[in-house]
Amino acid sequence: MSEEQVVLEVKHLKKYFPIKGGILKRTQGHVKAVDDISFDVRENETFSLVGESGCGKSTTGRAILRLHEPTDGDVLFNGENLIDVSKSSFRHLRKDMQLIFQDPYSSLNPRMTVKKLLMEPLLTHKLATPKEAEEKTVEMVEKVGLSTEHLDRYPHEFSGGQRQRISIARALILRPKLVILDEAVSALDVSIQSQILNLLKQLQEEFQLTYIFISHDLNVVKHLSDRVGVMYLGQMMELAETEALYDNPLHPYTKALLSAIPSINPKEKENKERIILQGDVPDPSDPPSGCPFRLRCPMAHDRCAEEIPRYIEAERDHWVACHLYDE
Amino acid sequence: MKPLLDINRLNIDYQSNKKEFNIIKDINIQIDEKMKYGIVGESGSGKSLTSLAILNLLPDALKVDQGHIKLNTDSTKDLITLSKKEMRKIRGNDIAMIFQEPMTALDPVYTIEYQLLEVLKIHKNYSKKEMHQKGLDMLNKVGISRSEQIMKAYPHELSGGMRQRVMIAMALICEPKLLIADEPTTALDVTIQAQILDLMNDLSESHHTAILMITHDLGVILETCERVAVMYAGQIVEESTVENIFEEAAHPYTKGLLSSIQSLGERSNELYSIPGNVPTPDNYQELGCRFATRCPFAMDKCYEQEPPMFEVQDDHASKCWLHVEEAQDDERRTSRAGS
Repeated sequence: MSEEQVVLEVKHLKKYFPIKGGILKRTQGHVKAVDDISFDVRENETFSLVGESGCGKSTTGRAILRLHEPTDGDVLFNGENLIDVSKSSFRHLRKDMQLIFQDPYSSLNPRMTVKKLLMEPLLTHKLATPKEAEEKTVEMVEKVGLSTEHLDRYPHEFSGGQRQRISIARALILRPKLVILDEAVSALDVSIQSQILNLLKQLQEEFQLTYIFISHDLNVVKHLSDRVGVMYLGQMMELAETEALYDNPLHPYTKALLSAIPSINPKEKENKERIILQGDVPDPSDPPSGCPFRLRCPMAHDRCAEEIPRYIEAERDHWVACHLYDE
Repeated sequence: MKPLLDINRLNIDYQSNKKEFNIIKDINIQIDEKMKYGIVGESGSGKSLTSLAILNLLPDALKVDQGHIKLNTDSTKDLITLSKKEMRKIRGNDIAMIFQEPMTALDPVYTIEYQLLEVLKIHKNYSKKEMHQKGLDMLNKVGISRSEQIMKAYPHELSGGMRQRVMIAMALICEPKLLIADEPTTALDVTIQAQILDLMNDLSESHHTAILMITHDLGVILETCERVAVMYAGQIVEESTVENIFEEAAHPYTKGLLSSIQSLGERSNELYSIPGNVPTPDNYQELGCRFATRCPFAMDKCYEQEPPMFEVQDDHASKCWLHVEEAQDDERRTSRAGS
């Protein structure tokens, strides 16, 4: 496993958003949306970030692409540090990294036809002449399961699933190496969702893509990912290969999260022990001392309030930040 | 015994100057007292419209074309024909509803106390002190610990899970016979969803409230309901107990839905998926089965004639020609064996 090539390395990434207030709009504090997380993404794998809303998973995705300028930390893409690069030269790098959003309704320009939407990235990056771009567009549209007759239509003429296909085509037409999918299938109905997931898998193989898949849906993540990182309140709580994480979760938060997924199998339902967590996710501008999860954790003890747990490799390739595994 | 809520052959049409078409067709649902009933379907299947029709809250362009919705409490009332004034007595009192997005359902300029007690003010005769006490009790019951403080708070000061708890408290404070929950946990995180579903199960038992759960999530149905109706394109395609639906699904659409979510859990290479898209109401097939265009088993007959609700086994109905064909085959075989 370790021989596989690392495409993206995230080291101690931090993104703090200032809270401004008072008459002078001084900074009064920070929301630590992403607080010191590290992980690496290997070539051709699907790496997933899961967590509840507000845990910082989307901010992480955006900070990697510098859509939110990171507060601190390094992001290495094929060995090159993205944080040091000037903004203008970063634009060239960005064609290798694409982002697909949850809501295809708001991410596609309603005044552009599908053809224009797909040609735009090629022309912006000066990768093709208009004629070549048109040829590539025709090819791409068929790859994502639409037909050439769709090219002259506008986004509002398509259903949610088809629009997401257009977003995918638009992202992949630049032949990127890394695609960040931010809740890309969350807005879709079950029957459409599985069509898109199949398409994503098929395209990954065909174009040798590396995915960072950001989602709150643990079932989808289980299906798609090779490795999964679980985030809570801006920190990485656990990171492991998918099977290890789902069969043998170490962190109490991961355990609770997995037990909370409504079961879809009547037999499984009877045997399942549910851990119902108390309370809500704390306010990220005022997180608890020590472990961010301790207020809701059934296993919390004194040490959890005093020290922030170290992020350690508890088992091979299985990282966790919890005092229970760090005696 | 009469069921608490009896929806009989409900049809809803869309009417405007330009066009007119049918949206909801022939909905039959019976909900007994204390029963937990689920309606499951994808977006646009008409599940929310059905629930709005029960409370007479349909938008102007939509009209109930025919059918009855009977509510049997002390007396029997047909909710379709009820006057506005009488309907107001039922909303919040006999039937309460909670919505998906608690932030839009709560009024941002009033305190929780005002909104919570408003229902009591309208429907019951309590003194101010009694009302306040009732409000505190109700908040405690839905698992809000600092109830005195929360009473004085405004909706924006609460988290999503807390707001949904307040909504449930508001819905149950008059002890309704039926609670309609329209996607109550869809906007919430899984850990909070687990809390809320748990709470709804407890409260329906302690308050003897029947629940009509409307959701797109089959997992939520299995977690909470006893019976379930599967809706597709404005029609019920299959109806039975939750066990029957999950273990012996009969309709190709239900089977497809279950396969696509179950194959997710298996980490298989390719997911099962239903081809095509959900049709919009102006594209519903006039003749035949509305699912035919996406159905892997569609026959010529499916495009020509509407399938009947067929009893595939005791207490389990499915709207598909396949079952009729199978039954006919069986009959032929037995008659041949007999002769």
